[in-house]
Amino acid sequence: MKIKGNGLNRRNFIKTAGITGGVLALAGSAGAGLASGKNKDSFTGWGRTAYGKDQFFNRKPFITDNPTYEKVGESRRITYIEDLFKRNGELSRLLFARGNEAPSWTFDDGAEKLPEPLRTYYLEHPESLGEFRKAIQKSQEQEENWQKYKNKYLLADAWSSAHASAIQGQGAFPPQPKGLPEESDFRGVKKEALKLKSPGHGSSLIKQITYSFGASLIGIARVKEDWVYQGYLRGVGKGEYEVPGHWKYAVVIAVPHEWDSMYANPTYGTSYDAYSKLRFIAGKLEVFLREIGYAARSHVPPTSYEIAMPPLAIDAGLGEQGRHGVLITPELGANTRLAAVTTNMPLEPDKPIDIGIREFCSKCKICAEECPSGAISFTDEPENVIRGYKRWNIDADKCFTIWNSVATSHARGCRVCLAVCPYSRKNNWIHNIVREVDPRDPTGVFSSAMLAMQKKFFNYPGGQAYLPPPDGENSTYGEAPSWLMTEEWFNY
Amino acid sequence: MYPNALILGPLFWIIMGVIYTVTVTGFYYWTKDKGIRLNWWKWLLSVLWFTGTNVVIAGAFTLFGENETRAGLYFIGLFGVLFLILGVGLWRILSPR
Ligand code: SF4
Ligand code: SF4
Repeated sequence: MKIKGNGLNRRNFIKTAGITGGVLALAGSAGAGLASGKNKDSFTGWGRTAYGKDQFFNRKPFITDNPTYEKVGESRRITYIEDLFKRNGELSRLLFARGNEAPSWTFDDGAEKLPEPLRTYYLEHPESLGEFRKAIQKSQEQEENWQKYKNKYLLADAWSSAHASAIQGQGAFPPQPKGLPEESDFRGVKKEALKLKSPGHGSSLIKQITYSFGASLIGIARVKEDWVYQGYLRGVGKGEYEVPGHWKYAVVIAVPHEWDSMYANPTYGTSYDAYSKLRFIAGKLEVFLREIGYAARSHVPPTSYEIAMPPLAIDAGLGEQGRHGVLITPELGANTRLAAVTTNMPLEPDKPIDIGIREFCSKCKICAEECPSGAISFTDEPENVIRGYKRWNIDADKCFTIWNSVATSHARGCRVCLAVCPYSRKNNWIHNIVREVDPRDPTGVFSSAMLAMQKKFFNYPGGQAYLPPPDGENSTYGEAPSWLMTEEWFNY
Repeated sequence: MYPNALILGPLFWIIMGVIYTVTVTGFYYWTKDKGIRLNWWKWLLSVLWFTGTNVVIAGAFTLFGENETRAGLYFIGLFGVLFLILGVGLWRILSPR
């Protein structure tokens, strides 16, 4: 049949439409791809995926009875002085006396003159003391440099301060514990707890409640003594403490940083967006647990912890520890920040998973190459035994020096290692293919191919570039989002 | 954005469905007129090639959308060329001798 008025018959029309359709289909795929890449719902933890939908990875096939940390000797609890913030805090109090008082210690006095336990620690780790001295010098330079950068990073700094404001000072939520855990964790607990149908019901309920408070990922673990700090207890102070008997389980909570700002570390990102979220989620869960009759204590960032989070989160089945020391989860990669609530509510713990992160880390090393401080190990296999566990060691002192060196208003972190980690990817179809295929490939060929592409396709400026001039050029791993770029909104 | 929007999203995919149908129908008549006989595996290869090409385009543009322009360009450079070569191979298989 001919279509009237022109020479086009039906067959030719269909053929022409077919070719046009083919081109349109490709254009449609391009459009769908572009929209998928831009889609804010792929920003796990920040899009439309609440109520547990952020925890989209099916962990069941990867459950293991052997957690992915490797115990190789006699283990012991971590002492509080081994925590960078605790020891730097103590040292700062000696160095920077209040008011007109003279400092009770200066670097020239040497480690010998320090009070215990600082003395023993720094005699054993003299390089750590030297690094802290360097960090203080760098922080003075940072303060002076800020005059140069304060306009460029105005919005990023204001955004960070806004997030930090909710969790600082006297009014910070949740309030710090007061008194022994046996009193403080039970304060406000309703006397007449109803009988729970089963621990499984307990876990399921607590997860749904915690998701509703805004958690992206939740796992439950039995509290293991090895992960509990020794020598200091919030609400009580210094001393030797047993792990309180009512810290039976820990509900471990994870949320990510806002993705685009996280990729634009070290200068545009902040730790406080995730920290403030975590504090509100954990603090609310603490209140909720007490209201239904159980003791609860939240362990929240930046420093209000009695438990080391990464191994606890491994036990809770959330993920594995990466070369950079940070927990890597299937959904969030290294863009995973953690808090926990310990409780005596009967719960059913989750099991650890093994998705092959350690094997990937052995060949990847991107974080070590990109770290501005050289704090991350380059060895193929973990070579340090730390408190009885074999793992890659992070030089926290060196890392802290970099916090004091990058072009921010004060030492508020670096986070380059989170940004560059290939696991830190959004929730869209292309990254989900890798997420699902990689841990199921026993040969490792897929991960090697992905790693080769990762190193070739993505732009890695190299560790030094993240520093301000003259050492570097204030590079960021990803481009900053326009809403954090002062020049997009202000003339200066 | 449209593929994810509540109303425009489903509409977009319905239109994409129509476009794919028209493309396959057009391809069918085109091969007939060219005297190309398509058995089942030639059909399968053709469909796989076209789907793959769509995925490569979508993949590159997803990376562009994520602000990973360099990765998107490398992606399309590598897989686009690969599919171009596969396309030529497919054409040689399909074309009548
Ligand atoms: S935060 Fe920065 S300096 Fe510290 S380990 Fe990570 S990349 Fe290195
Ligand atoms: S960047 Fe690579 S080596 Fe470092 S933690 Fe991530 S996967 Fe492991």
